Amino acid sequence: MSNKYTRQARLKLNRPSLRERARPPKQRTSIGHMFTTANYSGVLVMQHCQQCGLVQYPSREICQNCLDGKLIWRETSTTGHILSSIELHHSLWEYFKRRLVDAPWPIATVKLDNGATVFSHLYLASFREKSLENLTKGTDVQVFSHSDSSLNSVLIAVCATCDIAQLKDRTTIAQAMGLTAAAIKPGGI
Amino acid sequence: MTNSISSEAIRSRHPGSYQGVALVAASSVNYSRQSHHGAAWFIGKTLDKILKATGISKKEVDGLAVSSFSLGADSVVNLTQHFQLAPRWIEQLPFGGASGVIALRRASRAIQCGDANIIACIGGDAAFHRSFEVTASEFSNFTIDASFPYGAGGPNAAFALITQHYMAEYGAKREDFARIALSQRYNANHYPPALLGHKTLTEYQYLNARRIAGPLHLFDCVMPCAGGEGFLMMSEDRARHLNLRYCLIAAADELHNAHAEDEVQFRAGWSEYAVSLYDSAGLAVEDIDILQTYDDYPVISMIQFEDLGFCAKGAGPEFVRRTDLRFDRSGPEKNKLPHNTSGGQLSAGQAGAAAGYMALVESIRQLTGQAEANQVSDATHAMVSGFGMINYDRGLCSAATILKAGQA
Repeated sequence: MSNKYTRQARLKLNRPSLRERARPPKQRTSIGHMFTTANYSGVLVMQHCQQCGLVQYPSREICQNCLDGKLIWRETSTTGHILSSIELHHSLWEYFKRRLVDAPWPIATVKLDNGATVFSHLYLASFREKSLENLTKGTDVQVFSHSDSSLNSVLIAVCATCDIAQLKDRTTIAQAMGLTAAAIKPGGI
Repeated sequence: MTNSISSEAIRSRHPGSYQGVALVAASSVNYSRQSHHGAAWFIGKTLDKILKATGISKKEVDGLAVSSFSLGADSVVNLTQHFQLAPRWIEQLPFGGASGVIALRRASRAIQCGDANIIACIGGDAAFHRSFEVTASEFSNFTIDASFPYGAGGPNAAFALITQHYMAEYGAKREDFARIALSQRYNANHYPPALLGHKTLTEYQYLNARRIAGPLHLFDCVMPCAGGEGFLMMSEDRARHLNLRYCLIAAADELHNAHAEDEVQFRAGWSEYAVSLYDSAGLAVEDIDILQTYDDYPVISMIQFEDLGFCAKGAGPEFVRRTDLRFDRSGPEKNKLPHNTSGGQLSAGQAGAAAGYMALVESIRQLTGQAEANQVSDATHAMVSGFGMINYDRGLCSAATILKAGQA
């Protein structure tokens, strides 16, 4: 029989907007989870083909070039340039909906020097102009991985001259973006 | 990218003729913003409407091609028991916006080879409360791992990045995209089933709409909904024998994951086969009376104008400025091209995979003279184009066909 507590539990599952804590999307494929694990111990770790050396992203099972099945997780270069950048004003996910109340959420597609194209969160505050209009195609950036509050590794793009060598620098950035904390609704379930 | 496709290899290839294959019984059913019905209901109601329109019995349908995002655990074969059909040819085409044209190509060959005589091609999708969120978050493995976690914008985010890039590269303005959206709304105002057809849209409303992502505002985005779209395919002889109004296929082609070397998508496979498409049909661009593009966002319609040969690459903004895209050619511009004559997805709604059939179904209606208030006058050739599957940073599928009216 449903009582106050089971009703609350069901609401918590079915109505993200009523939850006290909303977090970024947790779901990943098994390869996606391997990307998270591999990135716990590096600035930016991606799959490299054992045979032809090509860097693979999004993570996959087979080399997109030579179809070799042995892909090695290894540190890769963090440098690249912006292909396109936008601010999201709307999201399908409760965590981002709550973040969007304060400010639009900037994201970018970045072409890394290793050849991969990545989607990434964009840390606007790290750029001197702090405005998206100036971050045109070709703007140099660095991309690193950090765990979000769902404990998945996600990519963050920052300005080319930012100091990201130390974990504490990268964590400071992820924290400043609000990625490492849940979005709280006071009085939620 | 390293896996670029040799364009010579593609250009040298012409698909065989589609002679003798007829399309009949264009049917659109039950568009609704939200519904408690599942996909099987929408697909079944479409089949029902097709059969009632033609007087063909369920037993005579020996082929079934289906596209849907919301069948859950079912596939096309499970549906045969839902509807108690006994087809000897089945096909499932989970290719989003390109599904319709791909279904048409597969079914044509089955009819030409005698694998099946009467094939129902149907796209149908449900729209439950919050079901779009699920579709978007689980769209593909690359989406789950590498794009949805970045803001969860769904297709809006991917297309905002593509639109932003196109605007910067080719100088397109929001006013140019407005021309596409506004003329489609005008068309929808004359097509009662369109979900937004009861509302007008002004340039002021378009430009000042709520911001969604980057350059995309509310009226750049389609409204996800439920609905079904379908038609029957059979030999021309049979269509004539049954005394059905039909249209024929002058040419068709498809190409997927083309131009992998492009850093940001500004074209798709059409650019590689548009010329061969006109060649096979024995037609020129000027002979196309109606163009139905896949319009999940205005920018992709503009890219299709370019890739399908209506203007040069990058000239899309200039093309829409001088072209009247209304179904009744009532605009002031000299160049006339009735485009997305039922309002397209932007004004009629995007019923999941049915959206991949919508343009075909509308074209069959037009060419068989079965459109009502939005009938285009003097139309014999319609070009229908499909695009789909934003797997990661770009749409993979491209497909296009030229249809011609059959003898009355």
